[in-house]
Amino acid sequence: MYKSAHFNDYNAIKGVWDEMYSENSTIRDHYQKVISYLSNESTDNLNKKEELARRLFMTQGITFTVYNSGEGIEKIFPFDIIPRIITAPEWKLVERGIKQRLTALNLFLKDVYHNQFIIKDGIVPIDVIYSCPHFLREMYKLDVPYDIYVHIAGIDLIRDEKGTFYVLEDNLRTPSGVSYMLENREITKRLFPDLLPQCNVRSVTEYPTILYKNLMALSPRRISNPTVVLLSPGIYNSAYFEHTTLARLMGVELVEGRDLVVNNHKVYMKTTTGLQQVDVIYRRVDDDFLDPLVFNPKSVLGVAGLMSAYRKGNVAIVNAIGNGVADDKAIYSYVPEMIKYYLNEEPILKNVPTYQLRNDDEREYTFANINTMVVKKTNESGGYGMLMGHAASEQEIDDYKKEILKEPRNFIAQPTISLSAAPCYLQGALQPRRIDLRPYALCGPDGIEIVPGGLTRVALKEGSLVVNSSQGGGSKDTWVLM
Amino acid sequence: MLSRVAASFFWLSRYIERSDGILRMLKINYASSQDAVREFTWEPVIRIYSGVDDELTSKLHNDSRAVLSYMVSGRNNPNSITNMITLARENARSVQEHITRDLWQCLNEYYHCVKDPSINQRLMEDDPISVLDVLIKQIMLYYGTAEISMERGQGRSFMNIGKYLERSIQAVDILDVKFGSVNANPDLLTDTTYWKHLLQSLGGYELYLKTYRDGIEAQNVMELVILNDDFPRSVIYSANNIHRYYDRLKNESHLSNHRNIAFQIGKLQSFIQYSSAQSIRQVGLHQFLTQIRQDLFAIGTSMNEHYFANY
Repeated sequence: MYKSAHFNDYNAIKGVWDEMYSENSTIRDHYQKVISYLSNESTDNLNKKEELARRLFMTQGITFTVYNSGEGIEKIFPFDIIPRIITAPEWKLVERGIKQRLTALNLFLKDVYHNQFIIKDGIVPIDVIYSCPHFLREMYKLDVPYDIYVHIAGIDLIRDEKGTFYVLEDNLRTPSGVSYMLENREITKRLFPDLLPQCNVRSVTEYPTILYKNLMALSPRRISNPTVVLLSPGIYNSAYFEHTTLARLMGVELVEGRDLVVNNHKVYMKTTTGLQQVDVIYRRVDDDFLDPLVFNPKSVLGVAGLMSAYRKGNVAIVNAIGNGVADDKAIYSYVPEMIKYYLNEEPILKNVPTYQLRNDDEREYTFANINTMVVKKTNESGGYGMLMGHAASEQEIDDYKKEILKEPRNFIAQPTISLSAAPCYLQGALQPRRIDLRPYALCGPDGIEIVPGGLTRVALKEGSLVVNSSQGGGSKDTWVLM
Repeated sequence: MLSRVAASFFWLSRYIERSDGILRMLKINYASSQDAVREFTWEPVIRIYSGVDDELTSKLHNDSRAVLSYMVSGRNNPNSITNMITLARENARSVQEHITRDLWQCLNEYYHCVKDPSINQRLMEDDPISVLDVLIKQIMLYYGTAEISMERGQGRSFMNIGKYLERSIQAVDILDVKFGSVNANPDLLTDTTYWKHLLQSLGGYELYLKTYRDGIEAQNVMELVILNDDFPRSVIYSANNIHRYYDRLKNESHLSNHRNIAFQIGKLQSFIQYSSAQSIRQVGLHQFLTQIRQDLFAIGTSMNEHYFANY
């Protein structure tokens, strides 16, 4: 029994892996210190900490603006004050698994845009690749520096009821959220003084330094101080806070499309002293908007002629263009085979079993078992366009089926995985909520580095399995222990 | 430095300076409206900061609370404090990695402060001066933070050029409107409270008393506000500072561009410096102020052309 009531009535969800409680309802070792620290705090105090966290986010401008009837409203990405804790052995596995997966995915991208051995050897069917809208012929036979396509990956992991890690999604284009990994840690330092060092939590502050080092190394011009810029869509983008944070922490220029110009296949930025050549662009603008001459002609976020400069090798773009072909949900199910094909290794991290609805038998199986399935669109992310079989009504299912039959290639189905749960401080009590984990992997000429930590997203609605921020999700500070 | 970033610095600073001017103006005018001054009117304030709009003036009539609410949180008033601080913050947001974190947080907090609905409520129901004081204090905090934390580089130079350009335009406008009213109502010329309020809203009352021993006289007020280079809100002080900070951009500019604008600034500076109360009277104050205003606008336009507008 603890001093404060809020710790005594924690009811772990039955049949779900709980990060804090083991099967026989004892607190796992790695949560002991935190829980004994928290149990000495009164509910009042914890409420105050919650309020302090909210205020810190607000005053530091860690917000995104929602525009409603001409009036900008500042919103905070909800933050839960209880950290999510990962043990050293768990982290070791995650780290090895992600490195392996990323190595294979980089090889796949190089292959698919060059000789396409993987198609010729019949590992990945040709139609899956060519029907993917993110497979860009503009990238064909284009050599990128060090053959690295994915410089920054945010691979989403989940745990099933036995605690086994699965890869849910490979985010290889412009994964976001890393600023929350950094800021959540800063907030925790303020909320729980001395707790981090007592618990031997590994630091995440190296992230910007490693990223900057990798970006510098990609410069096509061999000069001592290449110009690295971060290309943002601008202040109205919901991730703008992240763009400024990263630019500030790396000390690079934050630019918008209108600050850049291409002349004679070189990219320049417009400065008060004239044009200055840009060598490396860390872009947070999607492929489709990068160059109106090649992609979406209506885009004003990009730079006309950027693709030509890229093809000439005069500028490095991070992440490479055309990565979408590797994190397409239809390609996802082939990743374990890619790992075997390119690396001759067994995958360390499992895939969630995935049914391709373009195959008749798999589609029939899905339709027959739709109540235990999640159906997703291959080209959507952020939790949009999903059907959760167990929660949907008959009508919703029928409508969705019709949509699937129109274009089956655009859909995949996965059995509903019961995500693991972690304690959250909600309404004055600890309550279990479902979580996932997104570690950030950085791939440079010296290899792959993963900062020990990541973004833990949490489904704050009771009973919800969807952690995306657009669907009412929040985040937690993520601790990796030494 | 990116042109867009330089432009943001410049405008960020102008919005803040304008807010500061308006808030001080409002505070003194509100105080004088409580002072049973003969024929007190908000008309000049509205004219200086919202252009000539008879419909608006008659709508707000002389209801102090309505005017304050319109000037501080009026959504349709582009020069309301709320709108300008929002713009200042948006400019700051787009150059966040160039300003210090302290400065950003200071502005961000200010933004949340003016956005708070209780500000307007208190203006309407409570003592407006304490609300205006809160808002004025935030700006002092901003200037203090900028002064002690900003790197002494290009960014700060653009900020200060914006600040002094805005400040001098305001001083010119205020003088022009206040002296303009005298033509319609010659009695004002000898109305000491009228001039006292003008001095107070510019923060020059104490300095005036120290400088001129023989009571308040319109000619001396004009001299102080235009020609006294120890008075931080005088036109000459601002012009000197525009010169000073523009000079620091020399090493980071195209030489010919720099020479061009430096010429404009120097010319304006000399024009003011080699004027006297007497010579101003000879050309006519309105004429004189119009000339200065034109020159100031021209400097703004040139900055835009040579430093900001190449995107």
